[in-house]
This record gives sequence, C-alpha cells and structure tokens, in this order.
Amino acid sequence: MLGYVMPLYIYVLEDIIVALVLLSSFVMLSSRWISFYIHAYGFQSFLIFILTLVLGIESQNIDLYLVAFLTLFVRSIAVPYILLRMIKKFNIKEEVGLGIKIPLSIISGLLLTVFAYFLTYRLISPFSPKIVINASSIALSLVFIGFFMIISRFTTITHILGILVIENGIFLLSVVIVPTLPIIVELVVLFDILVTVTAMLILSMFMKVQTGSFSTTMLNRLVG
Amino acid sequence: MKIFIITFLIIPLFASLSSFIIKNKRFAEYISLLSSFLSLFGAFIILYFSISLKTISIFNSAIVIDKFSAYIILLVGIVYFLSLMYSISYMRLAMEDEQLTDKEFNRYYLFLNLFALTMLIAPMINNMAIYLIDIELTTIASAFLVIAEVTEKSIEAAWKYILIVSSGISLALLGTILFYLSGNIPGSANAVSSLDWTTLRLNAVYLNKDIVRFAFVLIVIGLGTKVGLSPMHTWLPDAHSEAPSPISSMLSASLLNTAMYGIMRYFNITGKNLGFNYPQTIMVIIGLFTIFTGVMGIINQKSTKRLFAYSSIEHMGIISLGFGLGGVFGTFGALLQMFGHSLAKPIMFFGSGNLLHKYKTKDIKKIKGVFYIMPKTAFLFSIGVLALIGAPPSVTFISEFLIILQSLKNGYYIITIILISLLIAAFVSLLAKVGSIVFGKEGNDLNIQKGDFGFLSYLPMVLPLAVLIILGFYIPENLYNLLTGITHIIIK
Repeated sequence: MLGYVMPLYIYVLEDIIVALVLLSSFVMLSSRWISFYIHAYGFQSFLIFILTLVLGIESQNIDLYLVAFLTLFVRSIAVPYILLRMIKKFNIKEEVGLGIKIPLSIISGLLLTVFAYFLTYRLISPFSPKIVINASSIALSLVFIGFFMIISRFTTITHILGILVIENGIFLLSVVIVPTLPIIVELVVLFDILVTVTAMLILSMFMKVQTGSFSTTMLNRLVG
Repeated sequence: MKIFIITFLIIPLFASLSSFIIKNKRFAEYISLLSSFLSLFGAFIILYFSISLKTISIFNSAIVIDKFSAYIILLVGIVYFLSLMYSISYMRLAMEDEQLTDKEFNRYYLFLNLFALTMLIAPMINNMAIYLIDIELTTIASAFLVIAEVTEKSIEAAWKYILIVSSGISLALLGTILFYLSGNIPGSANAVSSLDWTTLRLNAVYLNKDIVRFAFVLIVIGLGTKVGLSPMHTWLPDAHSEAPSPISSMLSASLLNTAMYGIMRYFNITGKNLGFNYPQTIMVIIGLFTIFTGVMGIINQKSTKRLFAYSSIEHMGIISLGFGLGGVFGTFGALLQMFGHSLAKPIMFFGSGNLLHKYKTKDIKKIKGVFYIMPKTAFLFSIGVLALIGAPPSVTFISEFLIILQSLKNGYYIITIILISLLIAAFVSLLAKVGSIVFGKEGNDLNIQKGDFGFLSYLPMVLPLAVLIILGFYIPENLYNLLTGITHIIIK
C-alpha cells in the first residue's frame, strides 16, 4: 500500500498473492472450457479479498474491511454462482471460440504484463517502493489481459468475464496505490458490477433464444 | 432547493415505475409525457437558479449544479420531452405494424424514463467516479431500449453497445483513480484527497503532472467511447440504427452531450494543471479524426438511420474540435453546436421513424418520392437536414462559423482547410441522400398509402425546427450570457 510502512511478512504475502492473481489470469488465457474461466475468476477474486483484508487489518482501515467482505460476497461468490447456474441451466458444453490460439494468447499475455510493468515503472517509480510497483503492475496487467480476453474469445460469457477481470484489475490497483479512496466509490463500483453482469446475462439469454448459441461469431450483420 | 431537486429526480422515477406497474397503455403514455414536460420545466427553473444564484451546492456538496451542468440538464430535458411526444405516435404505429407485444411496450416506457433519469442525474454529480458509474447505468438502461423490439440485429447492436461502452467506462474509471493518485502522492505537501470536480478544479496546480498527463488520455479514450469519438465509435451507428426512433434521438442528442460534459470537466482540470495546450492538442487531433470518420460513413451510407448516426459522430467531432481550438469563439461555438445538434437531430430521427413506418424499410434506395406521399414529413425533413448541416438561417451555421473563425484566429490554416472541406463533403452527401429520399421519382409501389400519420408524428419535428431557425436570426441576450459564462467556466 502506498504511503504505509508495513512489517516484512506483509510484503512477502503481498508478493505471493499478486503472483497467484497473475497466474489465475493466465489460467483463463490458457483454457478452452467456460467453467475453467469462471472458477479462475472466482479464485482470483478470493485472492484479492484476502489481500484487501490483510492490508485492512495491518493498516487499521475499517473501510477496507467492509470493501474486502463485499468483494468476497459480490466478486467471488455471487457473480461466479450466477454464471455457473446460467451454464447449468442452458447446459452449455460448447468450447470457447478462440480468435487467437492458446500458445499465442499466453505469449501475448506475457508481453502485456511486461508492458504493464514498464508503464507502471515510468509512472509511479519516483515516489513508491518496489513492492507497490510490483503489485500495481500486476493490477494493470489484469486490465490489459481483460481487454485481450474480450477481443480474442468469441463467447458472451468470456466477454463478461473479460470485463470482470478489468474491474478486478482496477480494484486491485485502487487498493494498492490509493488505499484512502472514498468507500462510496468502491460501493458504487460493486453495485455497477452486479447490474452490468445481470444486464449482460439477460442480453445473452435473449441471444441464446434468438440465435441458439452463446457464440458471438454470428453477430456480423451490422456493418457499414 | 433540496426538496426541489429531489422532486425533480423523483418525477421520472415515479413515471417509470407507475407505468410499469399499472399496465395501461394510455396511462403509461400520458404519465411519461407529463413527467417529461415537468422535467423540462424543472430544467428551466434549475437554469434560472444557477444563473441568478451562481452555483447550487447541496447535500454536503454531493450535488453541485453550475451553469454548465444546468445547460446540459436543459438539453436532456428538451430531448426527453420531444422524444416522449414522438413516442406516443411511434409506439402506436409499431404496435399496429410490427406486432410489438404488450410486454415489450411496458418495458419500453419503464426503461425510457429510467434512461432519462440517469441522464438528468449525471451532470449534477460532483464526484467524478460516481458520475462515471451513472454513465454506465445510462448504458444499461439504453441497452434495454435498443432491444425494445427483440430481433437478431437489435440484440447484436445492444451487445456491441454494452460491451464496448462498459470496457470504455472501466478505462475512464482507471483514469479517475489515477487522478486521485495524482493528488495523493506520499510526501507531497498538498494532498488533494477528493474526487469532486470542484475540489480538483480548485487545487489543480497541486496534482502530479506526469500522472495527470496519462490519466487525461485514459479519460478521453474511456468517455470518448461513450461520446462516439473515433476510433471508439463502432457501437454508435449500430445502436442508433437498431433502436426505435425516439430512443435514437435520445441517444444521439442528449446522451452524447452528457458524456462530453465529463470530458470537459477533466479538460478544465488538466488544463489548469498542465496548461491548456496539452488537452487542446488531444481534442483537436481526435476531433478532426472523428469528423473524418463521420463524413466517410455518411458518404458510403445505404440506410437512413445509420446516415444520421454517422452525422452524430461528425457533430461530436466538430464539438470536440471546437473545445480543442479553445478561445472564446471555439468554446462558444462548440457549446452552441451542442444546442443546435440537440435540436436538429431529433427532427431527422423522427422523420426517419415516420419513413420507416410508411415504407417498412431503412434502405435509402427504396425510399423515393416522400414529397408526394407524406408532404408534411417531407417538408420538415428537408428543412431539418438543412438546419442540421449548417445552412445559413440556423444555429448550426453560426456555431460552425465561429469554430472556423477560431481556427483562423489561432493561425491553424491547415486545420481550417481540412475542416471546411470535410464540412462541404458532409453537406453535399447528406443533401444528395435526403434529396433523393424526398424528391426522388415516385416508386410504383401501390401498397403505400398516401398521407401523413397523425398530428403527434410531426409536431415534435415542428417545435425544434422553429427554435433552430428563430435562434439563427437572433440569439437572445440570456442565452448569450449563459454560453459566455460556461465558456469562462471551461477555459479558466
């Protein structure tokens, strides 16, 4: 956390957790099955919850406790639960349509992570310790990987998860570099996530009824 | 004042919920029309207060309304009222022609009023992060309006819309968080721990310059997605063409302004921090590119509603170019252009809604000789297009002229030449297309009945057209003072 001095074990823990967060986003990039994506997302949100909680306890910031538990409920329980139920209900067994094949996806993910490190280093290195640079670079790389998931996968569920990964990245970034962010902002963002996911799921149900699939490859009529 | 603002916001909410609960069609139409009329009336009162009392600041500065906010609220109110008036005619025809179900009809009025509510709230909010979330809610409410008629195409449009704009808004949120970071750097003497634009504006000089530089680009990309700045405009033609006509006009004429408002707030903060040269350069480049994209879309267009959607992109480009050129003329011109666009675009979308119901197609080549079949619509449609593209007796002429004048004044001759040639290209191609629609040789289709639709199908076109032309001859002193006041808010 920027602006706080923490004991050593926090630094070690923070490093491990953000490394696992990055790993979970690479799990998403390297899998072909939708349920993998959802579980990886839930796991990632859970890691972010632990990190937020530990940082909140250590800095004695009550707002962070609240945000952490709301993250647990919304990001790592409610949203994956809704998505998994949706999959069960429609009995989806189809694979994710890949625009870019898995090996190339992983290499692109690596390049995006390196780019995020570069960008963060340029931006905040004058005034922040290395541990914060590390965590915030990984947060920024989540944003990029989310965008990459949206453009390279052709299923509505992965589009939704792409947006959710972007939001996770922004949330992690805000916890690490601006821990004093007003709590109302985090609350509204969580509310927004719930509303957006619900709206997008309703839309994709309409799509399933109309086109018989969750694949977005057939959405190519509106051009010009 | 508090009670007034709360009532102002509760009216659309009440209209939307009551029309959804009481499933009576006539009731839904009239309560929504009443609510939109009251909102317009309230918008005028807010404008009056914000001029005479300077800035309204209530609820511990959670809601701050200055002249700029009041102006945007007024534009939203005008379009809300016109669209509701047209909705009555449009939805009745849609129920007859396209077998719109009762369920879809009720959903339409529910989300229409909610959409208007979210747009009315957006300019009032002081905290920029909450403003962004409100913009996100406008996306969701309007995505359900785009699929008012559930077809494969409308679902595609809505999906693209919600996906592209949500990811754009999350970039803008990242930019906002970086703005917060720029004021909260550990070790700096002056911490600016707030996301309120009033606070950021007052303490703009204390923000970290490198981070502000990066954050402003993120904001322009993120909110620019919503404004339809190129190359993030791809959702716009789809959503505008697949939505019902009243919704297209609300999307185009009020939603884009609401998002532009956010960019201009950050523009002001960034300008105060880094000097206005930096944000202005970005706005000029992106504005010119957007005008170019819009004009290219207009030239190659085969569908009526997409034509006007691309025209919206072009106008947003002109507005951001005007803000980018800065100065009194450029900013004033851009604000006046917002006003002209908000009044002219509903005319065009309502006209194409009437054409859609008459000819059952959006294809420009299949719509001919409207003049002989629907004389009133054809007359208003052809005058409206002149007002839209900036033919002399209209507001848009004055605003475009002012923007050109500012670019000459700054000495940007190349920009002036590019702008004028693009405007002429848009002028010629829009006139040619509308000319072929209105005066083209009458088709031999005997299925088309002659005659206009009811009174309400063209009254919403008459009102803004009259205002546009009157203001083209004479801009009242109040409007002039208001726009000058906003200009000083933006560039100082």
